[in-house]
Amino acid sequence: MSAFCNTGVARYIRMSGRRSSRQSSSSGSPSISDEQIIELVSKLSRMLPEIRNSRQSSKVSASKVLQETCNYIRNLHREVDGLSDRLSQLLATIDAESPEAAIIRSLIE
Amino acid sequence: MPSSSSSFLNPHISSMNPPVRLMASCTTPCSLRTRFALRFLKTLVKIKRSSPPPPSSSSNSSPEKTRRRTQRIKRAAYSSMARAVGRRRAWSQALMLKLKFSVKRTNQHPSLSPTKMGGPQKAPRKAGGRILVIKRKNSLVKGSPWRGCSGVDELRRLVPGGESMGLGVLLEETAHFVRCLETQVSVMRSIADCFPC
Repeated sequence: MSAFCNTGVARYIRMSGRRSSRQSSSSGSPSISDEQIIELVSKLSRMLPEIRNSRQSSKVSASKVLQETCNYIRNLHREVDGLSDRLSQLLATIDAESPEAAIIRSLIE
Repeated sequence: MPSSSSSFLNPHISSMNPPVRLMASCTTPCSLRTRFALRFLKTLVKIKRSSPPPPSSSSNSSPEKTRRRTQRIKRAAYSSMARAVGRRRAWSQALMLKLKFSVKRTNQHPSLSPTKMGGPQKAPRKAGGRILVIKRKNSLVKGSPWRGCSGVDELRRLVPGGESMGLGVLLEETAHFVRCLETQVSVMRSIADCFPC
């Protein structure tokens, strides 16, 4: 498990612990342990290309992981937009009888 | 599944040409990737059939039609992914609800574009709508114990249903949501690569 900048994570976890207990008193859901949060943030950081590829992957703060996650999600949405555009143009121009269209039809049926 | 697809179980998938790669990635019938790809392709075929190409091949459809088709495709992508995940995850349930709600809105007001994905959650457009949005923004700033760290609040806005999740659930849902978005992008790219540009 990668070691985080402990003071930063400890502060966030104390605050989040308060928030979880506040939420659990109102919503009835069980509060989560600090170790679980560290593990979850660590798992997220391994998924992010920015952090995975950088040399500092063992020293990333929780705040940076969350920020990078938000950036990554926004980038993925942008990619979906671009690909939707591309597919829209393709749909307008492809011929229904082309071999590629036949492959797609064979996949669906 | 066509039986010929079993011949595409090839470990050297990156060396295949795009249509073959797409078929190879769909050979595991139960994987999320396959379930999403099949749903999405079916919807694409439906969209293609319902918007026939213009009689003259030189001119494309009007920009308005293209924009509407793009929106339909984008919506189909998110909807297919949410349905492929099903009710197993809180984010997919929230996304399916959001899409269902935005369809009703669009049907009532055809001039409204479908709800943007990933942006801040906006209240429905009624008289009190704007006031609700402002109130929510203030409560996020004041009540958040992660003061000075806007990461969690931002993440809550980006993950469907994130506003009402506890922190641990939010982090788990985020990991799954990101993985599914990556699959969605990858399949859409494979489909687009199938066709010569």
